[in-house]
Amino acid sequence: MSAMRIAVGFKVTPDYDALRPADWARLAAADGDAERAEAVRYVRRVFGVFDEAALELALRLRDARAELGLETGLAAFTVGGPEAGPFLATLQALGFETARVDPGPAGEHGGLDFAPAATAALVAACAQRLGGDVLLLGTRCGPGESGVVPFLAAEVLATPCVTEVTALEPAGGERLRATFSADESPVRATVTPPCVLAVGNAVVSLLRVPTLKDRLAVREVPVAEYTPADLGVDLTGAPGHAAAPTPLEPVDRSRAGLVVPGATPVDKARALYEDHLGARLEHL
Amino acid sequence: MTAARTLHVAAVLDATGRGAERRARALGAFLRDGLALADDTRTEAVTHVFCAADAPREDALAQAPTRVVRICRTPPHRPDLIAVALAAFEASGGADLYVFPGGPLGTELAARLAARAGGSAATDVQEATPSDEVLTCRRAAYANHLTAAVGVGPRPWCITLDKSWADASFSAPADHVVQTEAELLEDAVSAAVPLRHIEDLEPPATGDLETAKFLIVAGRGAGSRGGVERIAAAAARMGAAFGVTRPVVMNAWADPDRQVGVSGTRTAPAVCIVAGASGAPAFLWGVERAGFIAAVDTDDRAPIAGEADAFIAGDAVSVLEALADLLG
Repeated sequence: MSAMRIAVGFKVTPDYDALRPADWARLAAADGDAERAEAVRYVRRVFGVFDEAALELALRLRDARAELGLETGLAAFTVGGPEAGPFLATLQALGFETARVDPGPAGEHGGLDFAPAATAALVAACAQRLGGDVLLLGTRCGPGESGVVPFLAAEVLATPCVTEVTALEPAGGERLRATFSADESPVRATVTPPCVLAVGNAVVSLLRVPTLKDRLAVREVPVAEYTPADLGVDLTGAPGHAAAPTPLEPVDRSRAGLVVPGATPVDKARALYEDHLGARLEHL
Repeated sequence: MTAARTLHVAAVLDATGRGAERRARALGAFLRDGLALADDTRTEAVTHVFCAADAPREDALAQAPTRVVRICRTPPHRPDLIAVALAAFEASGGADLYVFPGGPLGTELAARLAARAGGSAATDVQEATPSDEVLTCRRAAYANHLTAAVGVGPRPWCITLDKSWADASFSAPADHVVQTEAELLEDAVSAAVPLRHIEDLEPPATGDLETAKFLIVAGRGAGSRGGVERIAAAAARMGAAFGVTRPVVMNAWADPDRQVGVSGTRTAPAVCIVAGASGAPAFLWGVERAGFIAAVDTDDRAPIAGEADAFIAGDAVSVLEALADLLG
């Protein structure tokens, strides 16, 4: 029996929680994907939260299958710029074959931030190039967070797609047992590859850290680089790309923010109770 | 005199599982309040109700948010069959706009229908404005930090609704007209059944979070599993429901069913105390309907300081335990 091949698509984004209100105002005022990228260029990069969970779930699935004597090949790829380099190096050290799809400057094709159909076309094409039986993705990732990329990729690949996956385990042979969140309750079911699985709010969310030895062992291994043309994708003709520019507005969630005085935790708790909570709690 | 233009709208309601009432309410409220139409435009709306083969007809109809209804009987957990039925409807004339409730199923159906019908999809829509060529959808972006006005291209426009529409009130019409009624069998699609050995698991026990009047939420600022447990104990002494932020769950300091925010429960307490959370928008969405928010955090420059009605700069565990001593 040949090895199961799992391809994981991931995205590297700015750490949005590190931005201050002034940063958001500048970002909202930027015009187009290129200006928005420039506005957050200095912000540290992180894995998309659900993408990171997908990567770790792939590793755990490989480990679980190995215990059953089943072989698993792992590949990880991203659609984006060179800022993904350190992340790809980490994934190589963890045992992933790696690839990057460079979509080129946003000015040439209108950008991918709010173009899920074009993104899905690249994701599906790269997964096919890497030969994945299972395509693992995060359910959604910023800035657009449409959540439709896994399904649109599944349409291109003509496979089933399960989203909001929270756990994965071998289910005999090449089948997988997936736990996922349906609209109102969790569900567990068996799925047979080829398939697309989109990882949601999994408790397993942090990617393991490779050792220095692992890093050194793969430092000469190249990352495969593709352009959309290499993968047979024409971004200028992708559906949704004719859409209008996307105006952004900061969301105002401000409240009074009254500072509760006091020198000690007890003082502050008393002031909070006497000035704000007491009367309100009495009416509950 | 200019003739009125008609926007043909199809609402899609999956009634094969739990929560159909909530989804129907969201659809009805959006069709009533969420579509910004030009003065010369009116809507013609139909609801596609997908229900179990043995579901009473009156139950299937009762929740439908539009007067005109198409009933389709289908097994549960078969989005592939529903997608086939909707694609067939679209091929026979269909609609300009398909509206799906928020959630995994709606997202799948919106994406697959848009792909098969050559249309376009948008998700988590707060409001939508149709024009001749583009549907402009207002929705959250950048991890809920910003709102975007996303223009989606060719029709049919297939959209899912922002979760907040499920909080709206709506009464379904009483005089439904059934346009068609059909049964969709498993052999409607040639592809293999996507899922087998399906087990419906028990939903997480989040009821007390959804209905709590007094809620305390612990964030990563609690510092450790022990800190979270001390805040939970303080909450219990005060008679408050207890929730946590996503980072707390990710650190395995609390169970996932306690999570508040976009990925967890959306609450609406009269009083909420946020203890040791910075105020990330994805979390704040879960408590923003609170009547009063007090926050405790060591960082007085954290966003939560300005997003609360009252703010205490300090250690969350110490302040909450002192408060419990006063109240308990």
